[in-house]
Amino acid sequence: MDAGTAARGGDAKVRVDISHRYGNLLVYEKLDLGVRENEFVCICGPSGCGKTTLLDLFAGIMKPSSGHVLIDGVPADPKRQNISFVFQEASILPWLNVRDNVATGLRIKKRPAAEVARKVEETIALVGLQGFEGYYAHQLSGGMKQRVAIARAFATDADLILMDEPFVSLDQPTREKMQREVLDIWARRRRTVVFVTHNLEEAVFLGDRVVILSGKPTRIVADLEVKLPRPRDPVSEEFTRLRARCAAMLHAVHAEPRE
Amino acid sequence: MASVTPAMSPMRTRALGGLRSVANNAVSIVVFLAAWQVAAMLVNSPFFPAPHRIVNAFIRLARDGDTMGNSLWQHCWASLYRVLVGFAAGVVLGVPMGLLMGLMPRFYASTRSVLEPFRFIPPIAWIPLAIIFFSGLTRFAFLIFIGSFFPVFTSTLVGVARVEPIHRKVALVYGASKRYVLTHIVLPTVLPDILGGMRVGLGAAWLTIVAAELSGGTSVGLGRMMVNYAELLAIPEIVVGMILIGALGFAMNEVLLVAERRLFRWRWQVTL
Ligand SMILES: Nc1ncnc2c1ncn2[C@@H]1O[C@H](COP(=O)(O)OP(=O)(O)OP(=O)(O)O)[C@@H](O)[C@H]1O
Ligand SMILES: [Mg+2]
Repeated sequence: MDAGTAARGGDAKVRVDISHRYGNLLVYEKLDLGVRENEFVCICGPSGCGKTTLLDLFAGIMKPSSGHVLIDGVPADPKRQNISFVFQEASILPWLNVRDNVATGLRIKKRPAAEVARKVEETIALVGLQGFEGYYAHQLSGGMKQRVAIARAFATDADLILMDEPFVSLDQPTREKMQREVLDIWARRRRTVVFVTHNLEEAVFLGDRVVILSGKPTRIVADLEVKLPRPRDPVSEEFTRLRARCAAMLHAVHAEPRE
Repeated sequence: MASVTPAMSPMRTRALGGLRSVANNAVSIVVFLAAWQVAAMLVNSPFFPAPHRIVNAFIRLARDGDTMGNSLWQHCWASLYRVLVGFAAGVVLGVPMGLLMGLMPRFYASTRSVLEPFRFIPPIAWIPLAIIFFSGLTRFAFLIFIGSFFPVFTSTLVGVARVEPIHRKVALVYGASKRYVLTHIVLPTVLPDILGGMRVGLGAAWLTIVAAELSGGTSVGLGRMMVNYAELLAIPEIVVGMILIGALGFAMNEVLLVAERRLFRWRWQVTL
């Protein structure tokens, strides 16, 4: 059975059914996508096809031109739902040090100070930034800034975790560590994760599903279920076959004539 | 705190740099005074007093007061007080107005043909109206308010445009209210511009106060004192007034600069 159809039932954690345009630029025309509770969905697609836009819609920080985004059956609203987001761009607040940046989400949610302190310390250790708590953005490297953003997203214990190419600026061992951490948080705390990446190996390694998008106006080209048991072995035959299949589909998307 | 050790060294370098800059400035003052002395000796005219005559005039004024019996401190305080009241009014109105207009660009766009022309009417041009409508402190405070409002208002307005959409998104995604976005995202972004606008506004305030005092309606104030001595052709006393205006303005500017450095360590270090 197609994974997308399965999620179309009542058990969808997030359900988008939208069209979206920026002015004259049509990005999505009737996109229908569901993410089940506790599912790890990876999204791949050509640059500029609307992945970041889609996550913004998921998070409820942008409204679609038409249609709706439902989380647990109600319209997406970050004031009511517990969402966290690792942005593609540098999103560290330059006037706050690392500690206060990581605490931002918790403070907005008005968690008690003791919990904030504990969570902040925990997640700073998780991303390996101990000793840099008092540093400001301009004193950090690009990858360190990204790890601050990751720590901020993990600190709030969100039900829905949205990640937009979160690990691109990290070195290989750190990236692998972060991948393990995401999988761990997802599995242990039963979270729902939507993860955008251009790296197909990463997508197949992490996801329960890999959704491949076309160029604008964007539609779903493929919605593949990854049935491999975890931890996955990136050099296994099945893994490489699946990855090659995704790669072929992405190449086909690029070969499509543009309007 | 584990972070203290690595963060310490740039601070220490900065302290040393501060000391060196104080020493360099002391040298500059000495060189300036020496050049002045030499020029005065070369010109050798009673209309070009040497530095020591200024010092003597200062001592006389400080000790005995002026010819009307007002002490030097009364003059300083009168001007300073007027500047502070008018400047405070300019900031108290300029910042919220700038934020409001910045956050409601359409409102600003549709009212700017009314607002903006006021910016090009110099505070001095308001003196005739001020003479008719106000007297005493309100007259001076009003003129200084006119002079300091627009620099503060305009830089706040411009600062709002600097808010990064991604920073707003960060707050929104965790469920922040509009109020939180205003106080925790917009304000920290705009604050450096506000302080910068305040420094420009302060300059405008001192410019205005002297002109306003020259126009009359008061018996104290540094501007008033200078006009009184101009009638007596007492050049050293006039120069004392000039130097005091420069020094007071400089001191207030330094206070703002120190505040800036404290508040914006995150930013200051970038520019070094
Ligand atoms: N605020 C905006 N105003 C106008 N157009 C926008 C805006 N944001 C995005 N777009 C356009 O919408 C399209 C999708 O943008 P989006 O950022 O979602 O792409 P993406 O899939 O995340 O790309 P990438 O992989 O390069 O990050 C692009 O063509 C972009 O130019
Ligand atoms: Mg993107």
